[in-house]
Amino acid sequence: MSRYATTVSRSALATTAALQSALAAEHAAVYGYGVVGANLAGSRQAAAMTDWVAHQVARDTLEAMLRSRGAQPVAAAVAYQLPVTVRTPGQAAALAVILEDRVATAYLGLVALSSASIRQFGALQVRAAALRAAFWRGSTVAFPGLPASALTAPRPQKS
Amino acid sequence: MAAHPTRRVVLTAAAVMPLAVASGCGGVDVLSAPPRPAPDVALLRSAIAAEQLMVARYINVLSAARNPGATPAARRGGSPAALSAALEPVLAEHRAHLAQLRSRLIVPAGAAPSPSERAPAAPAPPAAPAAAVAFLREAEQAAATAMLDRLPQAPGSLAQLFASISASEATHVPVLDALLLVTGGTGG
Repeated sequence: MSRYATTVSRSALATTAALQSALAAEHAAVYGYGVVGANLAGSRQAAAMTDWVAHQVARDTLEAMLRSRGAQPVAAAVAYQLPVTVRTPGQAAALAVILEDRVATAYLGLVALSSASIRQFGALQVRAAALRAAFWRGSTVAFPGLPASALTAPRPQKS
Repeated sequence: MAAHPTRRVVLTAAAVMPLAVASGCGGVDVLSAPPRPAPDVALLRSAIAAEQLMVARYINVLSAARNPGATPAARRGGSPAALSAALEPVLAEHRAHLAQLRSRLIVPAGAAPSPSERAPAAPAPPAAPAAAVAFLREAEQAAATAMLDRLPQAPGSLAQLFASISASEATHVPVLDALLLVTGGTGG
């Protein structure tokens, strides 16, 4: 195999792996939002329903992207161990924040790929997740989806 | 802190790359002009300038809110305290964006700082609080879009930082929308 072909297939593998990670995060979000909605009422429950649908749409999009690349999309797990206990509306919102943060991080994986269109798609999904997370958190963050380990310690500023 | 030296090495290597490539394709005097900065350095500088502008806009609006002038427009709508309480956390996030972007920029020793490293002048915000908030809202939307436009040319990890900052700026828009309700957006 030529060096060019090796590079191309490596890049294709990286793209498929990143799409599968994003899909796995969406599967978890679809499952998790069911629990979120079940613990909310009124307009908060309606908001959870809207976000739940958004994650289903994103999941379907990712599955189509993977199939068009000739890859078998990862399946959802039958059940997921929730990262937090959810029995109150406050805990439901906290779970939604965790789900969105994980989804944002997964889509940032697409932003590092070489394809400009996949980067753009990933970035728009990071934004959508950040907007939903800000709603459930009740506040904003400086670096949605970026783990602390990805941030460099700032140097002392002169200004 | 552990990741910092690694990034320094990577970006420094990127800055030197054009020279290596140039010498590979036939004879370049290594003692002549220093290598031109890699394209991502220019990209980083434009992102830094954009964030500096956002920080300056918030500082201007906040200081105008603390010292409302004699104009009736500046006194109309919303208490300065409510405005500050909502805008200060957003300003803090822009400062964090700026610090993070600056930490990725490695300026070679002895190189003159580019003009964009000095704070660009931000135009004075509108006097009325509601108009000032609407001005910030528009600026956030434009900044979030401009940050996405930098994605195709950026190296992977820088593209991730740009995307995250763009998403953060997009989340500031609903915050400003909520503030517009308090400051009497329709009257501004």
